[in-house]
Amino acid sequence: MNSRFFSSLALRNIQANRQLYIPYVLASVAVIAMFHLMASLLTNEFVRTRAASLTMMFEFGTVVIAIFAFIFILYTNSFLIKRRKKEIGLYGILGLEKRHVAKVLLFEMLYTGLVSLGAGMLTGFVFGRLFFLLLNYMMNLPVQLDYSTTGVTALMTAGLSVSVFLLAFLYNISQFTFAKPVKLLKGSNEGEREPKGSVVLFVLSLAFLAAGYGISLSMDDPLSALTYFFTAVLAVIIGTYLLFVSGSIFILKALKRNSRFYYRPAAFISVSGMLYRMKQNAVGLANICILSTMVMITVSTTMTVFVGTEEILENQLPYENNWTVYGAELTPEELTESFMSFQDRVRETAAEMGLEVTGSEAYRFQSFAGEISGGQFEPRRDIRGSGDLPLFLQVIPVADYNRLIGASVSLAPDEALFYHSDESFSAEELTFGGTTYRLSPADPASVTEDSQGITETAMLVVPDLLHIRRISEAYYADVEHEVMAGIDAHVAWNTDGTQEEKKAYAEAVESLKAGYPTSNYRSRIAVTEEWYSMNGGFLFLGVFLGLLFTIGTVLITYFKQVSEGYDDRGKFQIMQKVGLDRDMIRDSTRSQLVWMFLLPIAVAVIHVLFAYPIVRKMLLLFGITSDRTWLLSFATVVVAFSVIYFMIYRMTSKVYYGIVR
Amino acid sequence: MALLEIRKLEKVYTARFSSQKTTALANIDFSVEGGQFVAIMGESGSGKTTLLNIISTLDDATSGEVYLGGKPLSSIRDKEMSAFRRSTLGFVFQDFNLLDNFSIRDNILLPLVLSRTPVDELEKRLLPIAENLGIADLLDKYPYEVSGGQKQRTAVARALITEPKLILADEPTGALDSKSSRNLMETLKDINSQGQTILMVTHSVRAASFADRVLFIRDGAVYHEIYRGAESPDDFTDRISQSLTVLSGGGGRRE
Repeated sequence: MNSRFFSSLALRNIQANRQLYIPYVLASVAVIAMFHLMASLLTNEFVRTRAASLTMMFEFGTVVIAIFAFIFILYTNSFLIKRRKKEIGLYGILGLEKRHVAKVLLFEMLYTGLVSLGAGMLTGFVFGRLFFLLLNYMMNLPVQLDYSTTGVTALMTAGLSVSVFLLAFLYNISQFTFAKPVKLLKGSNEGEREPKGSVVLFVLSLAFLAAGYGISLSMDDPLSALTYFFTAVLAVIIGTYLLFVSGSIFILKALKRNSRFYYRPAAFISVSGMLYRMKQNAVGLANICILSTMVMITVSTTMTVFVGTEEILENQLPYENNWTVYGAELTPEELTESFMSFQDRVRETAAEMGLEVTGSEAYRFQSFAGEISGGQFEPRRDIRGSGDLPLFLQVIPVADYNRLIGASVSLAPDEALFYHSDESFSAEELTFGGTTYRLSPADPASVTEDSQGITETAMLVVPDLLHIRRISEAYYADVEHEVMAGIDAHVAWNTDGTQEEKKAYAEAVESLKAGYPTSNYRSRIAVTEEWYSMNGGFLFLGVFLGLLFTIGTVLITYFKQVSEGYDDRGKFQIMQKVGLDRDMIRDSTRSQLVWMFLLPIAVAVIHVLFAYPIVRKMLLLFGITSDRTWLLSFATVVVAFSVIYFMIYRMTSKVYYGIVR
Repeated sequence: MALLEIRKLEKVYTARFSSQKTTALANIDFSVEGGQFVAIMGESGSGKTTLLNIISTLDDATSGEVYLGGKPLSSIRDKEMSAFRRSTLGFVFQDFNLLDNFSIRDNILLPLVLSRTPVDELEKRLLPIAENLGIADLLDKYPYEVSGGQKQRTAVARALITEPKLILADEPTGALDSKSSRNLMETLKDINSQGQTILMVTHSVRAASFADRVLFIRDGAVYHEIYRGAESPDDFTDRISQSLTVLSGGGGRRE
């Protein structure tokens, strides 16, 4: 008997078992493609050059996917070979020696492995190319990311596939070497047995989960968070598998013991079916749970970075155009001259470009840090004494106050308007810089500095710039070793027009700056663009990975339903003979809903919640500090993903129903 | 009135893309009284399985009618078909058709569970039947853990548990060794003597000899029929064999 015989026998076997092999190969292709994509991101220009920690993250990611690929393919293989025990036992009875059977198995593994590897790499490559093109086009970031893959990537993918399939082959051999043919003949009918020591497994699973969660909860700074993130992920993955294997079997057995629940048509069929292949079921659910967690963490983190950045920019630059002139070296008259003429130039420039200024604020001001005590504002004397921040007092002239809110207040030389963020000071008089002002409340709408609840702020509106000058001189006379600041001017405004027009306008304004040497101009468009050219790649990768993991979830759910559908087909046909009707089939597939749908999602949500502390630390690298942003992104992602997964579930269970019907 | 009446039953198969027709059943006409144990014999391709499938409502007749307890089967609507099958008929198959994901107990209870029988009722019905069939000790085992004879007795229990009007058995001894076959046939005989009507299709002369009445089918028609009078089982066996030999010899006489 030569190799050709074994090779053609192997091919014929695969063909005869195509109902088992097609979903198996498809799922293997998906997992290998996923690994290939992840590995090829390692050679990505952005990943390599942006930050050392990013390379590290993707190395972790690649290892995680590799581990997932190992578990997934080995487990799937073990279920597949179990279903073929009878057939292979028959070879032994028909006179094939064990080494011959091994040869057939080797060829089978060679074919499935090669097809999976080839198709997986090709799929990975095409998917990568296509989606990079698509995402570059849709996201329109200032930087374009290129999909690249090298020989090293291909080697890594090949290495992974070879080792996984080799292990699978060794497992299969061991199944047949140590078993008697007669036992094999019966093998495929036997139900799966509960794993030994499931209580121990359950305790272990809790220990792993606690370890993973504990790491997440105990991280203090972004860098150690990055370092330990991988360990935490690994612990949670292992914990999840153990939890589903021990926990789901435990729940199923409890359901079966509850005879009032169990002896109803839908539960009777679905619970007994799930118990029959309890391990396969548990591992399938764990796979779905882990992929869902990956989807939710990547997408919600990406969204947080995106939304958070927009918020930060919005807070820092409430207007599209922001111009500040620093008046330390100017006289009040020079400052006012700059202040006025610049505003005119801004409007002229806009008009020249056919744009209109749609909103603006402009004021001259000086800020002082200190405290109010005994009806007097003064610099804080004992700076080291107390931990809390000083009161920031912004002083502006009444002319600018009037312009800001469109009022026409006039103040006598000893009058002032006053606003205090926490209203703890409500005296009628305030002494500052030698003048005692009689206070009236200022309109809060005029307050330009957003305190964001961080510090206490106050605003004092005085009759004119000379008052500010006088206050300043008095203030700085009191403070030692302090460079005297001057009166500054701030102009901020929006214009109408398209994004391109605004950009051109910002450039025109930028060139105006030459005439105002001590000023600074920032346009939101320029700042945003700068941010995105630095960090846009992160968003891109986040969206890409989210997409990748979602597709992975779809395929693996599909795989679970199809392979179980073929498993269950005979069972449903028999039951139809003894009087099962189609409505009941539908009922029983539906009763798996809670199980298949809610359980993985619920556990995934818990994982994500516990991942938050560590993810939050890493988000600090992006300057994101708002919990609210994350919670909102997270809630959105959970709802959106649940809807998507529900649709996946519905579609795949239709496939299942179509097979068993 | 007879429990089961079959009137002028015809079944013609038409190939999908040709006008060629194959007659599986040609004018079958007989009836079964309540409490009878009837065996139907015939060679492969004689139409026995088609006949059984039509009676089981798994297939439709081309013309003619089957009446069960006076009710024509064609009058049952599709929606009620499964429920009808569950409550009125009991099935015993050649290859047992037990489900490996259910224990012996749950396999027997399956039709009752599908009919949404209350839990308390399940156990009450199960125990006497399991005792009667000698499988009470096996209830918590799984089908792949018991012998062929035990599997078939489980299948009989599953057929009996709904207290059907009619039990349809398709080659029930086909996959059993002679000792288990004998054992099973004695069980069926026993059930029959308690009043259960049984219609059985079989190849086996020995199995048929347990029936009260044997119908011979050939080329889709009832060809011959014999009744067991007061004969001993051995005598009846001989008579069935003789009939088979004569009739399969191509005697050419048709009714």
